[in-house]
Amino acid sequence: MIRIEGLTIHFDTFKITDLHIRIEEGEFHFLLGPTGSGKTLILESIMGLRKPKKGKISIGEREIQDLSPERREISYVPQDLALFPHLRVKDNILFGIRARHLDMQKYRDHVDALIEVTRLGPLLERYPASLSGGEKKRVALLRALAPRPKLLLLDEPLSGLDPSMKAEIQQLLKTLQSSFHPTTLCVTHDFEEAYFLGDEITICIDGKVEQSGRRDEVFLKPRSRKVAHFLGAKNVYRARVLKKGDVAGHSILGVNGLQFSIPLSLCPASLQVGQEVDLFIRPEEVMIIREGKPVKDSLRHNLLKGRIRDIVDRGRYHLIYFETIEGKIPFEISIPNYAFRNLDLSRGKVVRAALREESLWLMF
Amino acid sequence: MNFRGTMIGAAAGLFVFYFGLLLSLFFFFGAREFWEVLTHPSTLFSIRLSLLAATLATFFAVAIGLPAAYALSRFEFPGKRLLDTFLEIPMIISPIALGATLLVFFNTPLGAIIQRKGIYFVFEVPGIILAQFATIAGLTTRLMKTSLDEISPRYESVARSLGLSAWQAFYKVTLPLSLKGLIASVILSWAKAVGEFGATVTLAGAMPGKTETLPVAIFMALGSANVNKAIVLILILALLGLFTLYVVRLTGKRYRYD
Repeated sequence: MIRIEGLTIHFDTFKITDLHIRIEEGEFHFLLGPTGSGKTLILESIMGLRKPKKGKISIGEREIQDLSPERREISYVPQDLALFPHLRVKDNILFGIRARHLDMQKYRDHVDALIEVTRLGPLLERYPASLSGGEKKRVALLRALAPRPKLLLLDEPLSGLDPSMKAEIQQLLKTLQSSFHPTTLCVTHDFEEAYFLGDEITICIDGKVEQSGRRDEVFLKPRSRKVAHFLGAKNVYRARVLKKGDVAGHSILGVNGLQFSIPLSLCPASLQVGQEVDLFIRPEEVMIIREGKPVKDSLRHNLLKGRIRDIVDRGRYHLIYFETIEGKIPFEISIPNYAFRNLDLSRGKVVRAALREESLWLMF
Repeated sequence: MNFRGTMIGAAAGLFVFYFGLLLSLFFFFGAREFWEVLTHPSTLFSIRLSLLAATLATFFAVAIGLPAAYALSRFEFPGKRLLDTFLEIPMIISPIALGATLLVFFNTPLGAIIQRKGIYFVFEVPGIILAQFATIAGLTTRLMKTSLDEISPRYESVARSLGLSAWQAFYKVTLPLSLKGLIASVILSWAKAVGEFGATVTLAGAMPGKTETLPVAIFMALGSANVNKAIVLILILALLGLFTLYVVRLTGKRYRYD
């Protein structure tokens, strides 16, 4: 297990305070934060290129914060990759094994397996300058993994790639993860990337950890408005608690005169009637009900009538701008294309929308 | 005249100016005299001395300039700005002033001790090397810093994460990557050292057969109205210079690095 405890970095205008991250062996951990939040500084401190003001870093039982970078066994793939241009692909890949004077025989099978997965076999004799963007990424990943590092650091690994290449590298990262189980810490600002690849996610905003946990936990249940906002959450409302726990185990929240029902299990014990909270509803959790179709029981508690204000085709899905008749609350609803085609929606049309009680989320 | 024509015209004008100057040398030129002067022992001595002194001066300038350039390129440290400014000193004060400063220094108690207990510089061959070193060290450092600046520090970061010490990363990654630029810097510095006159003549004097480098020899040939000899020496210097520039051009052809 990798433990980063109380890491504090002051550099120029950047301040990172009391950063805590725990990464289990073989885990793909994402450090997610807005662009310019000092994520690269954090990586450089973990690697030992920059001396943090405070903090402990340990790999297993071994504390490494005072070791020089070459003794930490932490591999690093920077955003610009920094493949050694004067060395062939082969020599780039073997760089770490040679630099550490490791026994090549013991690593042969491992390296061969990596070459196989990354399909770099035919390119081994080439120089980096003659490789495509995706090939360069593959070489950089392989170079980092070849010496079996204790920790792999990735800095925005999917930035600067066109969409098809991005999908390819994303898939490769997933394959590498499942076949070789490197313990990985990846920094990025792109939460879709983190969602696709991450086991655990730490969200760092303004130099502080806002939330850390399992991927779904963080995405579906942001702990604060700040996190929700960063994750691109759209439907966040200020709500007042009207009733806490009726006979059936529901609490009632009021937004602009409109009532939402939420199961008691999603309300913390400290919740008081009259208290104000942030209510977050994920756009993909709202369903538009087909005309004349009976409403399922599970959806009856939160049924909204409203008008379609606008429809935007986002390629892979449609975004519906919906506004409730009562309370005039705007909603963004995203629906898959096949569902959109079945619904016969148009601007100005009045429709019913429903959401499962369990998809409501409260933030304080 | 159109825009493009004006600009290219200016460039062509400069070429005609310099080339014309070189061409005018041939007005007094005779092939037989050329050979005579070229093979004369004093000329050969000047050439040898110039090459030797410039090579040593460049060696010392690189020995201290390369680490200094690296520090300026990669690290933040107190006094960095000041140091950077001081590298310009030899360029902003005239070479004679630089030589005079060295001369004054060797008359201070410290300078006197260095001469007595160590090496004699004033009016001696080591003085030539020191004067040339003083003239080029700042420039050498500057040029090498520019070459190092072009190499992203990221290469070293990765090399270190893969197990190289800071020294090894410099030697195995940064040095080979910046080698062409560094070589060009060294050659340019050397060429400047060969042509150095002001500081050399002030510190080491103009003693025939002893401290008479090529530029000093030209000065002396003119002083004794030996135009023929001066012309031959100028041509030698010009050829030497053009040759080094050509070599720099060759090294300027970069690898197909990304």
